[in-house]
Amino acid sequence: MQITFIQGILLTVLAMICAVDAATEAFFWFRPIVVAFFAGIILGDVQLGLAAGAVAELSYLGLLTVGGTVPPDPLMAGMMTTVIAYASNISAETALGLALPFALLAQWWGIFTNTAYAGFMKPLEEKAKKADIRGFWNIIVVSLVIKSIGYGVITFLSVYAMQNLISGFVSSFPIWLIHGFEIAGGVLPAVGLGLLLRIMLKSENTPYLFLGFLMATFLSLGNVLPIAIAAIAIALIGYHNDKKRMVVVGGSENDGI
Amino acid sequence: MTVSRNKLTKKDITQMSILSVFEQVPFNFERMQAGGFTYCIAPTLKKIYGDQTDEIADAMMSNMDFINTEPHMATFLMGLIMSLEEAGEDRQMIKNIRAGLFGPLAGLGDAVFWFTLLPISAAICCSMSQQGSILGPILYIVFWGAMAIFPRIWLGQLGYRLGVGAVDTIRENAAAITKGAGILGVMVVGGLIPTYVHFGFADTLYLFDVVSVQGIFDAIIPNLLPLGLVFFIYFLFKKKNMNVIQLILVIILISIGISFLGIM
Repeated sequence: MQITFIQGILLTVLAMICAVDAATEAFFWFRPIVVAFFAGIILGDVQLGLAAGAVAELSYLGLLTVGGTVPPDPLMAGMMTTVIAYASNISAETALGLALPFALLAQWWGIFTNTAYAGFMKPLEEKAKKADIRGFWNIIVVSLVIKSIGYGVITFLSVYAMQNLISGFVSSFPIWLIHGFEIAGGVLPAVGLGLLLRIMLKSENTPYLFLGFLMATFLSLGNVLPIAIAAIAIALIGYHNDKKRMVVVGGSENDGI
Repeated sequence: MTVSRNKLTKKDITQMSILSVFEQVPFNFERMQAGGFTYCIAPTLKKIYGDQTDEIADAMMSNMDFINTEPHMATFLMGLIMSLEEAGEDRQMIKNIRAGLFGPLAGLGDAVFWFTLLPISAAICCSMSQQGSILGPILYIVFWGAMAIFPRIWLGQLGYRLGVGAVDTIRENAAAITKGAGILGVMVVGGLIPTYVHFGFADTLYLFDVVSVQGIFDAIIPNLLPLGLVFFIYFLFKKKNMNVIQLILVIILISIGISFLGIM
């Protein structure tokens, strides 16, 4: 379906607001589940926003900014999964893979600002030397505004200016190609989970992965909260056992293990 | 010339902690969060030193060194630094504590907020979203809104209260908390696999026209293929150091190939 000029502007404003949060990483409005929800409201298809948000959120779960790296951009992934699904009339799962180039585009913008903002360090030091807190703040605001405008430009071009190009491109796909993207949409959450495991999985906690897997496979739980509560119980048991062992050995932590 | 220092109140630390939502802002690859960190403590430094501009400038400059910690945990360090500044401790020592603690705090914060709370909150809210309920995103917004404020205030107060003792507290508890968060996070990821990874052969695909291919896998254990897939991807990341974007592209290409062959 066609995206109107007003919708294009509203989506741009949405991206700019969420981009401020992407810079602060404070309120998590840059996460796909939130961006797609509001994009769905703007497009008048809330259900699509919910579906797109869920599939994009899970796929971009492990792609985190940990340690100062810049991953493919979750904000733009949530935005474009919703917009492409809406404009090309395809499922959210299919649109997820097609949204990737836009997430990469925003990722490059992030890398660019992270590089260019090194140039702000000198002016910031000048202000610090004079204890000029207001001047210091102004530089921070400028950096926020520049970042946000970049997101706005990328979004407006992607959702409004190029929409016929994108939907024309997608509608020329044969069915097997569309279904291929759908399969990819089902597989991509495994990338997010695999990335999480890369950081978290250790030989000592691998058994718990299987416990969680078996609970979810054989108990009809509805959601993952009961597994989380069971995991907290197990973690607490381990914590207390560790403490007790340290006391029994009768010494400092160095004596343990 | 003697330096006079004003006492901070609980309210000062709370205000600083709320201001710390900007800790991450002029992030750059050179000194990462140095600018944002310094900005967040600047008004509180002014409170301590009043009109003694030189002292404020010195304190600000000593915080302009490289720092990269987890944004929620940064207030702990800020509170700690404030208590040391207020007590007139040696600034070189403050610098050393700052440099020594931001790494462990980042590890702790990543384990708790990004690798545990994020997957759990996302999983719960996404399952609501997929059932078509707007409660999914709304709950997510409310939860992370609360997370953006309350842990920051609590950690800020804690760091301020502990003062120099904080260094030992962190050393004693960081390992235990990280281990516990690891168990929680890994178990939740295990629970997410069956629900969110969809990978199975087409129902119409039969071996020798008699045995359903997917049926064979389901007879061993349901969701075996998604589990294997996650482990395979983990293996590619961990052992082969594969690049994320390459992997995503490969997955899309293979999926298209599979679709073309009609086996899924």
